[in-house]
Amino acid sequence: MNPFHLHDITRRHFFGRCGVGLGTIALNQMLAGSASAKHVPGIDPANPMAPRRPMLPAKAKNVIYLFMAGAPSQLELFEHKPKLNELNGKTPPKSLMDGRRFAFLKGNETLLGSARKFGRYGECGMDLSEMFPHHRKIVDEVTWLRGMTTDVFNHGPAKLFMNTGFQAPGRPSLGSWATYGLGSEANSLPGFVVLQSGPRGPRAGNSLWSSGFLPTSFQGVPFRGKGDPILHLQSPDGFTRERERNFYDAVAELNRARLAEVGDPEILTRINAYEMAFRMQSSAPELMDLSKESDETMELYGATRGEASFANNCLLARRLIERGSRFVQLYHTNWDSHGGPGETLDKDFDKVCKDVDQASAALVLDLKDRGLLDDTLVIWGGEFGRTPMGENRKTVGRDHHIDAFTMWMAGAGVKKGYIHGATDELGFGVVDGKVHVHDLHATIMHLLGFDHEQLTYRFQGREFRLTDVHGKVVKEILS
Amino acid sequence: MRIRATSLVLLLAPAAPLCAAPPVEFNRDIRPILSDRCFYCHGPDEKKQKADLRLDIREAALAAEVIVPGKPDESELIYRITTHDEDDAMPPAKAKKPRLSPDEVALFRRWIEEGAEYQGHWAFQPLAATTVSKGRHPVDHFIDQRLAQEGIKASPKADRPILIRRAYLDLVGLLPTPQQVRTFVDDPRPDAYQQLVDELLASPHYGERWGRHWLDGARYADSDGYAPDGGRQMWPYRDWVINALNNDMPFDQFTIEQLAGDLLPSPTKSQLVATGFHRNTLINSEGGSDPEQFRVEAAIDRTNTTGAVWLGLTAGCAQCHTHKFDPLPHREYYEMFAFFNNGEDRNNRGASLDVTEGELFDNKPPTSNPPATPPAESQAPEQKLATGKVMIMRDLKEPRDTFILTRGDFTRPDKEAGELSPGVFSAVAPALPESPQPRTRLDLARWLVHPDNPLTARVTVNRIWMRYFGRGLVETEEDFGTQGSPPSHPLLLDALARSFIENGWSMKRLHRLIVTSETYQRSSTARPDLADTDPRNLLLAGQSRVRLDAEIVRDAALSASGLLSRQIGGPGVFPPQPEGIYAFTQNRKGWATSTGEQRNRRAMYTFFYRSAPYPLFGTFDAPDFQTTCTRRPRSNTPLQALTIANDPAFIEVAQGLAARVIEELPGDAAALRDSRIRHAFELALCRPPSPAELNVLTNYAATTAADFQSASDDAIALLDSRLKGSSSAHEAATLVAVARAILNTDNFITRE
Repeated sequence: MNPFHLHDITRRHFFGRCGVGLGTIALNQMLAGSASAKHVPGIDPANPMAPRRPMLPAKAKNVIYLFMAGAPSQLELFEHKPKLNELNGKTPPKSLMDGRRFAFLKGNETLLGSARKFGRYGECGMDLSEMFPHHRKIVDEVTWLRGMTTDVFNHGPAKLFMNTGFQAPGRPSLGSWATYGLGSEANSLPGFVVLQSGPRGPRAGNSLWSSGFLPTSFQGVPFRGKGDPILHLQSPDGFTRERERNFYDAVAELNRARLAEVGDPEILTRINAYEMAFRMQSSAPELMDLSKESDETMELYGATRGEASFANNCLLARRLIERGSRFVQLYHTNWDSHGGPGETLDKDFDKVCKDVDQASAALVLDLKDRGLLDDTLVIWGGEFGRTPMGENRKTVGRDHHIDAFTMWMAGAGVKKGYIHGATDELGFGVVDGKVHVHDLHATIMHLLGFDHEQLTYRFQGREFRLTDVHGKVVKEILS
Repeated sequence: MRIRATSLVLLLAPAAPLCAAPPVEFNRDIRPILSDRCFYCHGPDEKKQKADLRLDIREAALAAEVIVPGKPDESELIYRITTHDEDDAMPPAKAKKPRLSPDEVALFRRWIEEGAEYQGHWAFQPLAATTVSKGRHPVDHFIDQRLAQEGIKASPKADRPILIRRAYLDLVGLLPTPQQVRTFVDDPRPDAYQQLVDELLASPHYGERWGRHWLDGARYADSDGYAPDGGRQMWPYRDWVINALNNDMPFDQFTIEQLAGDLLPSPTKSQLVATGFHRNTLINSEGGSDPEQFRVEAAIDRTNTTGAVWLGLTAGCAQCHTHKFDPLPHREYYEMFAFFNNGEDRNNRGASLDVTEGELFDNKPPTSNPPATPPAESQAPEQKLATGKVMIMRDLKEPRDTFILTRGDFTRPDKEAGELSPGVFSAVAPALPESPQPRTRLDLARWLVHPDNPLTARVTVNRIWMRYFGRGLVETEEDFGTQGSPPSHPLLLDALARSFIENGWSMKRLHRLIVTSETYQRSSTARPDLADTDPRNLLLAGQSRVRLDAEIVRDAALSASGLLSRQIGGPGVFPPQPEGIYAFTQNRKGWATSTGEQRNRRAMYTFFYRSAPYPLFGTFDAPDFQTTCTRRPRSNTPLQALTIANDPAFIEVAQGLAARVIEELPGDAAALRDSRIRHAFELALCRPPSPAELNVLTNYAATTAADFQSASDDAIALLDSRLKGSSSAHEAATLVAVARAILNTDNFITRE
């Protein structure tokens, strides 16, 4: 209900022992005495984003997470179910309904076959519908997770769950955990950047990239996809770069003077934020300037210079990774194909597929081409899947389904052309290779070089971790 | 029942406690463990219950012989939590909950030995009777008592300049002038501070500052939400809130008028406008939207908002299932929903009322600045008073039938469970009186503010406390349920709640009580000595530094520069905003940039489109008001830095501050440079600069002045029309640069 939690107090907790003028004490020293602290990254409060080594050998350095907001229908894209088509319009078999939890459906809905044509592609023989022609090019580059399950069936909470492992706001997001653990190689762009495209922003908004109880330095920074990525990058008239340097220095000195007086470590974060702001004034326009990208690259993505789109954002994601950002998350709306206006499973679905297909595949191919795929993990998926039953609305649509859906991952440390998991013949549930959201998180952390049970943060008297008390690394998909 | 306590357990159990430990207290010691490890399967949710066993009800646990008071070794529970037998161990491995630690087991043993008494959840218990030593301030009594127990020395009082800036920002959200600071600093009266507080509580800006907090909970916005997100005219409701707070309308009346003003006998126009509270819900004007769906969504939102704002309960979970941890059954949720299920309004149709600007104010507030400073730009001609069509609540003559909605879905009423009549959460006293008439929102409102209802007062005083200290006494101010955090100072919370009720629900008296405490007035300087014992300052040995709310960032800047319009109330305004704000919205919004004084109204009057809020708001953590918000997060980002450094609106403020300084200290620019720097600093930070700070600024000014002297075009580019008349362009530009630096300090956007 309340979208916000305990951000304000946490920084004080985090930097709690940093008294007057003690700006450079590393946190690992401060927290070393805490008996249950397992892996606490050594964080310099004056430079919390400094790059850090993971606990374990890591496969992935960076992550690009393509978040398909609204939940794409796996049954129109990845899951070919002839039996479902055959039973179109029939009541679902009782054997499959019994004991299964449904988000909304009560039983008066009937099975809905997919109107989309499917083919089988690649060495791995992955089913892909006609909606995703460009994905055919990457079938053998990615690991297909067909047995995804989640706990939560409403968009906001489910997106939070997929991002933070918890369905209410207040916990750190994946990107925050990653930058908390690893810092960032980028010193003039944020370590954790969020880009958005589609008709509207994702439900649950900025709590999806919140740092929760972690220090606010680790929260995601939303960029706009066009023009200046953030507002107010331009200095006022009359302020040259050199004058701006003097200005920022004066502000930093004033802040340091106050820090020496009052000892509030939040001032350190503020000093860092201003330094980053100064650097971003030149690095951000450079990031957005696609003039040096070749026409071939632009075509590969389907990107257009000067436009805001998912395709442009995919290209920007690559450019961010090249410039050292640790975690880039793209949100694209609207996949919520209930069948209502703007959310039909025919025309509206066609449009969102078209928005996303080419650039998603291009990103993988481009990263590979540039040798970046070896240490970049690409994740693709929504917050849940969609039901094998249709919805009783004016136009055809599917409801939310938490028991079986498809995601894919590519790059650093995951198998190429591997299909993990399978669902029953109607797509109700997972019969093999089930991967719960917590397992996905555990696996991502593993690839980044962390034991998900060990990377913790002490808050309100207990150790918190991304996976709460759950999660198993999906070893089968590791390369 | 077979008792399977092993001899090992018997051997390990101490025959008698070695030293007299304080008695185990269920709510403090036992409930949190039960809630965390046991209630998921043995709690209120019937669907999840395993083995027909409930541990949340004493009678049930005793009847099942799981707990035998006085006899831990005969209690199955102790066996289950200690055994290594995998089949019997609790919590079971598949629950993926940690087993109980030896200390926790010992607590359970002692608790059973002592009789296994249960307590209801603390938040639902009657307010405790508290006593305070004579002459002691009740807040300080409880805070200092605890500090003394822990052997912690309280921080000294903040210096007066810090204190007056704190009080101004907290009570009215504006800055005092240097003259006001000096008067207070030099005030020899022993009650100088009390006088200051009374003055601020009497200021019409108090209603704006605290009205803005209230509007967060009311999810007030100027647009409908959803994709089309068209404009609406709810500002008369905002006027009503400001006026009610300024008049110190008692909180019980404040509650009743907003929730059920239309159901009062012969309601006044003002009481009808008050019901706009629940017309702040979203409307979907998209073609083809099902009005019934959005009617039900609005009713659900009204239920959830009422639960959150008055009861501090995350009732939303019970929309879809019985709350796993809190005693909020699915059925009771829909009984509360039933109060809101009779609204005449359906999505974009419903009752409204025409209100003229200023009509709702009992004392006509200032409509424009006193003519002390000449207008920055030519004033717009006197405008006609605006009229707003404010949406209000009205019920159908024939109530709708209410059923449980399966999974919250409006198309799936659970008719088997039967028709529901309006009702309240049974866990919270008092019970609704029997009534032959169907109950209405008026009954609900009266129940919320019934003196026997302990929750409303606790939740309300806690939230007010939170605004003053950056954190509530109950940290999870939005969750007073069993998953929320317990109060750090339970007796203080109850003392405040009790005094709130006993003082006729006067909000101003509550404010006065809190801010006149020593606890509030303490220095916010960090305490390295408490880094180990109280790193999060939970015990409140000192104050905390708190970043200003989004609106107050702008208001403080406008008031430092003297540009602020003091006009109160009326329709929304459109200060200049950057291009491209509507990239993510379906429709381009009308944004006729305001002129003259209207550009510089307090930020709370900025027209608020839910789908594309004025950028400053999002950057500084204001929510988008899709749903109620009772607490905002506080982030600290480069985007905030860029906003204050480069947003043309803040450059205007820097120019305004420079111009004000020049006007207030006229004369030779070079000779006056240092005094003007000092004056600018005091206008913004309400204290003189330290030698180190002054040094930074004079050096910066010297470099900048020399630089601009040889680049006069750049200097002139920095000047607005007022500054262009200044005798020395480079000195004026230097002052703008200095003013900009001061506004960009952490200190400026922080209440210390």
